[in-house]
Amino acid sequence: MDPVVRLMERVRARDVAAFESLYDSYHRLVFGISLRMLGDPMVAEDVTQTVFMKIWTSPDAFRGGSFVAWVSRVARNRALDVLRSRGARPETELPADLPLDGALDDEILERLDAERVRDALSMLPAEQRAPIEMGFFGGVTHQEIARRTDTPLGTVKTRIRAGLRTLRNRLAEGVPQ
Amino acid sequence: MTDPGSREEMLELVALYALGVLPRDQAALVASFIANDDGARDEYRALRASADALAFSADEPVDSARSVRMKERLLARVSAEAAAGNGAIARRRISTNSGWLLGTGLAAAAALIFSLVTVIQDVSLRSDLAQAQRRTASLTTQLADTERVGQHDRQMVTDLVAPDARRYEVAQGAVVVRGDRVYLALSKLPALPKGKVYQAWTLPKGATAVQPSITFPPNAEGIAVVALPADATKLGAVALSVEPDGGSKAPTTRPIFVRPLS
Repeated sequence: MDPVVRLMERVRARDVAAFESLYDSYHRLVFGISLRMLGDPMVAEDVTQTVFMKIWTSPDAFRGGSFVAWVSRVARNRALDVLRSRGARPETELPADLPLDGALDDEILERLDAERVRDALSMLPAEQRAPIEMGFFGGVTHQEIARRTDTPLGTVKTRIRAGLRTLRNRLAEGVPQ
Repeated sequence: MTDPGSREEMLELVALYALGVLPRDQAALVASFIANDDGARDEYRALRASADALAFSADEPVDSARSVRMKERLLARVSAEAAAGNGAIARRRISTNSGWLLGTGLAAAAALIFSLVTVIQDVSLRSDLAQAQRRTASLTTQLADTERVGQHDRQMVTDLVAPDARRYEVAQGAVVVRGDRVYLALSKLPALPKGKVYQAWTLPKGATAVQPSITFPPNAEGIAVVALPADATKLGAVALSVEPDGGSKAPTTRPIFVRPLS
């Protein structure tokens, strides 16, 4: 069994040591996402606390699949809530909180690390990388991305799709099919 | 949505949905497309993995003092809760889950809460109690509505793209069932004559006559995604017809489809 899944089972049984292990493994990621999106270390700290308290109080919310993808989505959702509360931001809809049922995708996610993703991102043309990062970490809609970058809406759509496809192919390299 | 150009456009929207940059109104429509198109589901899975992977790029070392401080705060709370016993934890878990579900409506809800506070302050400043009470009641209703809409939207999108959702295809799209919830995810509805609406009908298991369900218009592209107010586990079939605005008690036109849920 996946070690993280085993840890989550122990968290469900109210095992504080298991929770501490999860914190040690994933707090950098959660804090990093929050900081990148919010730009304020103190607020990012609060979001990190909220995310880990959710893990503790609602461990059943994790329904399998990639834990790292799930905890990232939880962090991003909480950071988006903070962004929305700061002002009139259009409400974007994050994809449904579901485990991906493709083993390959989970395999890719479990083998990733920050350096590999940053390398793959850095190889994307800037005009593809910028709208993807703006959308993911900025919590804005594609219309807002088009407005901010002064780019036609259709071009933004095409670049985001092409960039995500390229990224996926680069990240899948080396993962057994 | 069947011509190649339109399909490519929809697949671009699938990428935007996977990245989480679609406005909520469009997200539900794209979820419907994904629910009804095998290629779109493959595209979504692939691009969703890319989008999920982006989070890793934010994984940076955390200042050790901050890391220790956060951990101490967390463990103090968690240890206290663990010591407080399962009963208290269970109660808190229910409370926390409820709050979490309100995520998508949070900004609007926060704005309404702010308005409520403003009204309460208004009372003390102006002593205009009756007026303030009316405004408070109105805002409270709006707040409750906002919360319901947020939960409903999130649930619908989740259900429509869920791998375990059952899809009963019809010429215009699909009837989607997940658990006790049932949706119409339709994308090829002809424009309606003036004064007409589409009306859904439900046939309970073992019944011989359909029951009236909701009426709805499609959008300009002929797309409609609606949740039917019925317990899917008790339904034998779902139908759709064109009816006069306001709906009918029994179908007055030939059904566009009658779809058994089996």
